[in-house]
Amino acid sequence: MLSPKRVKYRKRMRGKVDGVAHRGNTLAFGDFGLMALDPKWITNRQIEAARVAMTRHIKRGGKVWIRIFPDMPYTKKPAETRQGKGKGNPEGWVAVVKKGAIMFEMGGVSQELAQEAMALAASKLPIKTKFVVRRDLEKM
Amino acid sequence: MNEKTIKGYKRETLGTGESRRIRREGKIPAVIYGKNAPEHISLDVKEFAAAIGSVNEASIITIKVGRKSHSVLIKDYQTALISGDVTHMDFFEVSKGETLHTHIPVTLHGSAKGVKEGGLLEHVLHDLEIECLPKDIPESIVVEIAELGLNESLHVSSIVVPEGVKILTNPERTIVTVVSKKAEVTEESEELEGEEEGE
Repeated sequence: MLSPKRVKYRKRMRGKVDGVAHRGNTLAFGDFGLMALDPKWITNRQIEAARVAMTRHIKRGGKVWIRIFPDMPYTKKPAETRQGKGKGNPEGWVAVVKKGAIMFEMGGVSQELAQEAMALAASKLPIKTKFVVRRDLEKM
Repeated sequence: MNEKTIKGYKRETLGTGESRRIRREGKIPAVIYGKNAPEHISLDVKEFAAAIGSVNEASIITIKVGRKSHSVLIKDYQTALISGDVTHMDFFEVSKGETLHTHIPVTLHGSAKGVKEGGLLEHVLHDLEIECLPKDIPESIVVEIAELGLNESLHVSSIVVPEGVKILTNPERTIVTVVSKKAEVTEESEELEGEEEGE
């Protein structure tokens, strides 16, 4: 599963996921993509589940690019613990995904197959998504 | 190449609010610039989509604004992030007899030999920057890929362009490549891998 090799600080402040993605909002590698329509933390498990669903459906026919990386640690306090006594322990990794970000890209397959595969991937994610096509392949 | 004609409407008032009002009416604000003073216009979305189809920088379009007509190229365009609708267009007025720079799409023709051998076709470069006279602009550059074998690539330097057209894109850039697929991993081994990671 995706996670950073090493980080400077173990715990991070949560921050906000407001606004739209000003970077990573266009198709850069493939012909088809999956765009986030909601802002959310996407865990590395969800990314992996989506990737597996996609690659199994295309039977490794095309190529898949993952455009998001879970570089943010999230923490959790143990169960039945009173408040206070400091921040919880790191539990996993998430990618901070803003509205409009292209999360996955795909190439080397037909549009129908890509759309089916992306739909399977979308069902593994906790947000609404949109299937996008490279502009020179679609009509306005 | 065939020229396309669309109708433009002159914009008297400018600014964000006015542009929004135009968009609500089903129009796209646009600007024409070049050697002469810039002219602010608006285009009907439906009319524009029917005439032009997909947005492409390679076609010369004639825009009729009142009695004047402008021969233009699409220089730039802005789209709404989520809906993908075109929100603004920039047109560059071309002058006959003067060379210009533009981008033209690269289309692939044929099916690569390497793909039949089990490779994967990767189209890396989708457009090329060219310099030519307005009359010489090709609609697209067609690249023949039938002879492309496994682990072989086609570069910009290997393209034969029509007379009068000069390619400005770096000749060393790859247009298309056939890569070998990764060794197939069986589903069982993938699941085992996942379990090991989980432990």
